Amino acid sequence: MNIAEYQEKLLDQAIEAGFTEAEVYFERKSSFQCMLYEGQIDSYETSEDGGLSLRALHNGKMGYAYTEKLDDDSMSFLINSVKANADVLDEDEGIDIFEGSNEYAPHNFYNEELETIGIPEKIELLRLIEQKIRAYDSRIITLDYCILEEYTTERSLTNSKNLSLSHKENGLVIFLSTVVKEGEELKTGSYLKMTRDFHTLNADEIAKAAAEEALANLGETSIPSGKYPIILRSDATASLLSTFMPILSAENAQKDQSLFKGKVGQKVASDALTLLNAPFHPEALSGASFDGEGVATTEQAIILDGTLQTLLHNRKTAKKEGSETSGHAHKDSYKGTLSIAPQNLYISPGKRSQEELVALVSEGVLITELSGLHSGTNTVSGDFSVAAKGFHIQDGKIGSPVKQMTIAGNFFEFLNNIEEISSKLFFLPDGYGSPSLLVKELSVTVE
Amino acid sequence: MIKQSVIENVLEAALSTGGDFSEVFIEDKFVNECALQSGKIEQSISGRDFGIGIRIFSGLQSIYTYTNDFSEEGLLAAAKRAALAINGGATGTIQPLKKEIITPIHNIIILPNSVEHARKATVMRQANDIARNYDERISQVKVRYLDEEQHVLIANSEGKFVEDTRIHSRLVIQATASEGKEMQTGFYGPGAHAGFEFIENLNLEHYAGEAARIAVTMLHADECPSGKFPVIIDNEFGGVIFHEACGHGLEATAVAKNNSVFANRLGEKVAPDIVTYIDDGTLPNEWGSLNIDDEGEKTRKNILIENGILKGYMIDKFNARRMNAEPTGSSRRQSYRFNPTSRMTNTYIAPGTSTPDEIITSTEYGIYAKYMGGGQVNPSTGDYNFAVMEAYIVKDGKIDRPVRGATLIGNGAKTLQLVDRVGNNLAHGAGMCGSISGSLPVNVGQPMIRVSEMTVGGTKGE
Repeated sequence: MNIAEYQEKLLDQAIEAGFTEAEVYFERKSSFQCMLYEGQIDSYETSEDGGLSLRALHNGKMGYAYTEKLDDDSMSFLINSVKANADVLDEDEGIDIFEGSNEYAPHNFYNEELETIGIPEKIELLRLIEQKIRAYDSRIITLDYCILEEYTTERSLTNSKNLSLSHKENGLVIFLSTVVKEGEELKTGSYLKMTRDFHTLNADEIAKAAAEEALANLGETSIPSGKYPIILRSDATASLLSTFMPILSAENAQKDQSLFKGKVGQKVASDALTLLNAPFHPEALSGASFDGEGVATTEQAIILDGTLQTLLHNRKTAKKEGSETSGHAHKDSYKGTLSIAPQNLYISPGKRSQEELVALVSEGVLITELSGLHSGTNTVSGDFSVAAKGFHIQDGKIGSPVKQMTIAGNFFEFLNNIEEISSKLFFLPDGYGSPSLLVKELSVTVE
Repeated sequence: MIKQSVIENVLEAALSTGGDFSEVFIEDKFVNECALQSGKIEQSISGRDFGIGIRIFSGLQSIYTYTNDFSEEGLLAAAKRAALAINGGATGTIQPLKKEIITPIHNIIILPNSVEHARKATVMRQANDIARNYDERISQVKVRYLDEEQHVLIANSEGKFVEDTRIHSRLVIQATASEGKEMQTGFYGPGAHAGFEFIENLNLEHYAGEAARIAVTMLHADECPSGKFPVIIDNEFGGVIFHEACGHGLEATAVAKNNSVFANRLGEKVAPDIVTYIDDGTLPNEWGSLNIDDEGEKTRKNILIENGILKGYMIDKFNARRMNAEPTGSSRRQSYRFNPTSRMTNTYIAPGTSTPDEIITSTEYGIYAKYMGGGQVNPSTGDYNFAVMEAYIVKDGKIDRPVRGATLIGNGAKTLQLVDRVGNNLAHGAGMCGSISGSLPVNVGQPMIRVSEMTVGGTKGE
């Protein structure tokens, strides 16, 4: 069945069934993924899939349902489920379906050329990278992950207020995890590269970076546990930022789940920190020109020179405060209800290089990787205690890798303890970005 | 769900370029999810996941494709597109499909889809009230209700044709306690491979009460000291430590390519005599249980470590080829979107002889981890980390005072060697495990155990 026709028919049936307003959201994804193991294709995956959701108002309450099976039976499943889901809600806060913004920034998130380059050429590049990594150093024993993934996603949002929006994006991600061994010491190092422009991928550069990332972890030593000045590398900072994003949500603040409640206009971080929302950032792979409700997205400062400018709002949270939405309604996919999230959130870069930041530290720790973020962080209290990998810094120079560590602190204090920010920005595929930071101190425990 | 003749054609088309095994996995799943916050039911969503995964093996190469185009043309096109990844070779043949009837080992009494939303909401409100009324410092309670009814059909070129239905129900309670600037949370999420009877029979006083009690207890807990201490880990969800520290390293996903510290060590002593570690997908109605795995193999009780000796691994059909071994009914996938691989079901340390009281009184100074949070492991190196949700200092054989912000780090193979007490109070806890074939319901379990030395990372410093 043609999607546009299905959407239209479903909207008509929804209104007929007694819904006052309705929205149909559709998403379709095609992807290709290949994993190599010692020169051979270990796994090869392709997919074509998608789904559709109905969000509609029944007696002033918003119900949700979705399906991945697009047939006539599913229309009645959607309509009956949305009704049941609306009726069970206690809330009736007058949220409605959005009629549309005045204008939407024209921005291209799709590079057609990436799709026209054949799969064999992409596999060949991955093979070359794997070969170069394995030949790079005799201490490299294998790669436990050598993966290339490419995807194209299309989304469309249509509603009973005649709004019709669509979005198309694609991208390619290479993920490598190199296993190195010297004597009895076994270490891994992971490396991620993403792009929309295949021609920017250079096998030599990628192989060198991936190999060096793992090799650097050999020769670990122990240092005494204690409080140290920390350089948090860009990729590790971006993952920490992504984990603590919920503190910026107006919904969480309204429900007493964020200590940023009532802090707009106040100083919440060091003067060095400016945090931006950038739906069209050229270095990020994600982004969109409309949010989960169809509101046009914009470039915004969330924290400017340490002062909180705004929380992230959707139309419901904004209405509660009598303000305008900031365009941060978020739909994870057709499977979810509306939540709140930024579109590319990043810490604005400073002027000095990471080396210059390291040179400022007489004794400290450079953290290159954080893990256990989903369990070792409390976004309500801001407390975190997470596993970390990194290096000892002595006399302004990077020294030996340190045995497995944990770093612990409180994110709200951390924001106030940022002393310097490096000049080079790194984005994760999910759109969180950061340069490296010099932080006054964190508690470090060494195994 | 899809005609048998169509499935046969798809299995055949998948072998058209020389593959030696093909498989079709059809999934039709209904889910309901409902969330309560601030005392109100504020989100409710239902959905239907439907799709088909097609898998082809050619020697040690595995090809996977999935789609939710269920037309015969769509499925044949997907199978042929996947087959293109294999170079040449003669067309393989398929065995005639022979329908297998399974005897369900998990009794389901009330199908969740037959229950009105209002009845589900009633249980959620009860849980909310219990947590709210626990203490005036409870400032927020979130309750999440989930159910799913998953129908699967698995057929392969070896003639397998089997169908199954899996029912999952879960209630997750999160309480926040606040006082002044302090905020702490507590969490409990019981789940089962069972229908709505599981939800209605839940001891809400216990689960919601505990979530609230943890939040309140942690509100004024000291910061956890860091350093190396004996650590006592309580039963039930405490088993997450061995799930991370050993379980993942015993999955064929890691073992087949020697990317595990436990690879090639069958028959070796890897733990003290008191440690027996088991993965059992047949435990009736447990959260991680299944009648058949996602390759259609019957689940079973797999002894992984017996009295300290490494006895076996969890093996799926594909990795079995690389390992020259038999599959163990351990192949799982989150949905048709995932190529299945070896995963855990209900994994636990078998009970020992120590009483919890003996374990605590014999500890001079250490950490008692009453409730664990989540964790993760790097299977190649065995390095793991996880968070403790509720921890105490043990001093002179007594539980002294609560501490917060504790993280445990270490190496799985080494930690396993340091287990010096195994209690007699085995219990299981429900969790979600994320790995390459997606996020899956698993149980972790153990009696109370003690590890003679672990690295504890805390906020307080030494």
